[in-house]
Amino acid sequence: MPQYAKSLTAAHRAFLTDLFPGDGCVLETEQLNAFSTDASRRRAMPWAAVRPESREQVVELLRWADAERMPVYPRARATGQVGNTVPLWGGVTVSLLRMNRIIDISERDFAAEVEPGVITSDFQEACAGKGLFYPPDPASVKISTMGGNISTCAGGLRAVKYGVTRDWVLGLEAVLPGGRTLTMGGRSHKDVVGLDLKRLFVGADGKLGLITRATVKLIPLPATSSSVLVGFADLATSMDGAMAVFGAGLLPCACEFMDATTLKAVRMGGDIPLAEEAQAALLFKFDGTPEGVAAEVERLREALRPVRPVSIEVGEGEAEEAVWAARRDISPGSYRLRPNKLSEDLSVPRGRVPELVRIAHEAGRDAGLPVLCYGHLGDGNIHTNIMHDAERPDEVRAAHRVKERLFRTAVELGGTISGEHGTGLTKASFVPEQLGAEQVRVMEAVRRVFDPHEIMNPGKGW
Amino acid sequence: MSDRISQHASHCILCGKCLQVCPLLRATGREELGPRSKSDLCRVLAEDPGRLSEVDVARLAGLCLGCGRCREVCSQGQDVPGLVAALRGAHPNFRSWLWKTWLTRARQLWSPGSKAAGLIPERFRTEKLGPMLKMLTGMTGGPGLDPFLTPKTFPDTYRGERMLLFAGCTANYVQGRWLMAALRLLDGLGADILPDGFVCCGSGLKGAGFADEAGAMAERNVAVWREAGRPRVAVFCASCLAGLAAYDRFESDEERTQWAESLLPLSVAVRDIGFVISDNASERIGYHHPCHAGKGDPDRVFLRHALGDRLIAETDRECCGFGGVMRLAAPGLTEPVNRQCWDALRDADMVLSGCSACLAQLSATAPDRVKVGHWLETIG
Repeated sequence: MPQYAKSLTAAHRAFLTDLFPGDGCVLETEQLNAFSTDASRRRAMPWAAVRPESREQVVELLRWADAERMPVYPRARATGQVGNTVPLWGGVTVSLLRMNRIIDISERDFAAEVEPGVITSDFQEACAGKGLFYPPDPASVKISTMGGNISTCAGGLRAVKYGVTRDWVLGLEAVLPGGRTLTMGGRSHKDVVGLDLKRLFVGADGKLGLITRATVKLIPLPATSSSVLVGFADLATSMDGAMAVFGAGLLPCACEFMDATTLKAVRMGGDIPLAEEAQAALLFKFDGTPEGVAAEVERLREALRPVRPVSIEVGEGEAEEAVWAARRDISPGSYRLRPNKLSEDLSVPRGRVPELVRIAHEAGRDAGLPVLCYGHLGDGNIHTNIMHDAERPDEVRAAHRVKERLFRTAVELGGTISGEHGTGLTKASFVPEQLGAEQVRVMEAVRRVFDPHEIMNPGKGW
Repeated sequence: MSDRISQHASHCILCGKCLQVCPLLRATGREELGPRSKSDLCRVLAEDPGRLSEVDVARLAGLCLGCGRCREVCSQGQDVPGLVAALRGAHPNFRSWLWKTWLTRARQLWSPGSKAAGLIPERFRTEKLGPMLKMLTGMTGGPGLDPFLTPKTFPDTYRGERMLLFAGCTANYVQGRWLMAALRLLDGLGADILPDGFVCCGSGLKGAGFADEAGAMAERNVAVWREAGRPRVAVFCASCLAGLAAYDRFESDEERTQWAESLLPLSVAVRDIGFVISDNASERIGYHHPCHAGKGDPDRVFLRHALGDRLIAETDRECCGFGGVMRLAAPGLTEPVNRQCWDALRDADMVLSGCSACLAQLSATAPDRVKVGHWLETIG
């Protein structure tokens, strides 16, 4: 393990307060508490937090941090689930919320340039104002940032049709430890010259450097969308339904799945537009031209007819939100079953989803805990919520046993322990089991090319 | 840690949903000022009291505009403004005393205070005090807006109904024209307005941590309503309405429901009045949506309908930055919030709203070319 600075000296403080004057540098314990945790609820206190407003400040910071072997923890809105922003070994947290300009949205290039602290939904709104579309839509889209989404390669509901954040990044500007600035890619939608370094930064969770600017690809804004909530008598039929839809040549922009336990939790919060006898549900969304969307919804009905769904609710215009209410209520609704959860986002090849869900249910039954399976069926990324009461040590142990069983199952099925959230602190220990020693060795060697002293976000899983 | 603080301390799951709506976080980029951080700060204080100083926690968490937007979106029912109020209550200081005095002695202080503030020479208006003094001066609203909406037809919905009118401190003590306009409209509707003995709604005191004083005001106002036979109560200030709606001391659950149902935003009552717009009306009107008006915002619904294309700009997530007692504690922090609000209204030459606090703040900070007033001032 590299030798890191052990604490913040008076000279360190002087450097930071000089580089980040006024409220740009935070040193007070009470204020620093805000930077100690994230949506993972893991916790460690940084020694300082700084708020750069320009690339030049970032360059000076990383020149200094590298020389001082100071751990650096990048952070924006800190909405991640796995503890990637938690400053495990103290050091300096870098809040990028003040680098939040949309620099350009170009209708001619179908590309945009942004700083990392721009809120993703604000950016999408600005694009929509020009008839343009940036599709990645993680659940946190209204509260998370472009920089955070790029660093974690955020996915989302629309990934089945449009792919994940990685597929939309054309170029990046990043500052490396030591103060070098690397400009990778650009506005060209195609580029095969050299290694695709920018892609290494997408999903690297801040381990290679600090992203200071990003160029992303845009497409024309779809004119309209419709959503369809379909109820099925049982799990097997819902899986047949999904197969039937994709088999009919349809490509929805979202295909979400909800199992019986999930529906139970949501129904406890109120009525949803789904038949009472439904024990599984699929939620489809189509976007495009009005004629195209209407035709696709009709083809969906036809494709589903042989599997005999118990209800079909189509939501268009303002009514579209009503069919999504059930999906949006899952996360808060899950707490109606137990006060705590382990939230995992396993991803398997689409054809193996039924096996994953079956094993998750079995594991839940064996442990005596409710396990919710829901999420992005269209791309095989199933969220499993292992509900438990953290006040009861037996339930906590049982929940972790279920989690480990599911991790192994995902890998055995040819999938991954994380399709979206990353590994950070909460899944770090399981990473070598999935990747194997050789991949981990290569990744560490690559990391040291960018960050020889491993000061960037140390202590986290790959 | 007092019970009043600890009852708020443990619900937050750190999901960050509140980060979407906090105007202070958005304007400053300071994560420690966001609602999630305040919840977490109090959790750490409760779980590990040796690590943090409660006084410093109270000072930091007290940097809250009290807009209540985070409470609206929280899936766990976390009440950060309530938590902040409890901390303020446990750690009172000179500023909170000043704020309390200002609110509890409105009758004696507001009109003279407003006049006195106007007499202070320009050279004494320091950077820190200037906006506050301008706000005090602006409370009387000068000559007000020129009316351009004339009621022509009245529905029979409320004809003959006995009703109370909760005017609020601003209308009672400094903005008599709002009160007169409201009474004229209710008279046209045929409502029988009962005499009342209402006092301040108490919401400004509650947010500042004076729970007992605010509770006494709530009890008094509910008693007035009870003695009048529990009639409907018309209200034309969004913050007063939110404050009244949050009352929680009743004889029974049934009475609590009855109270909630009796509160009638004046803009709902006047929605079906037929208005004629005169030629002098501005064609570039903006509407400021008060944080406390909630998603439905009846004033916005009314004005969209009444003004049509003349309404060219609206705020939505932008707060005016009034901030209650925080304005005294950290005026510099409310300025970027206020700037974002005016940025959203930049194309308007007249800005209307329906909250006395927002109007005081907007009047004090409006660009020279922009007139500001309550929508009641537009009604002739």
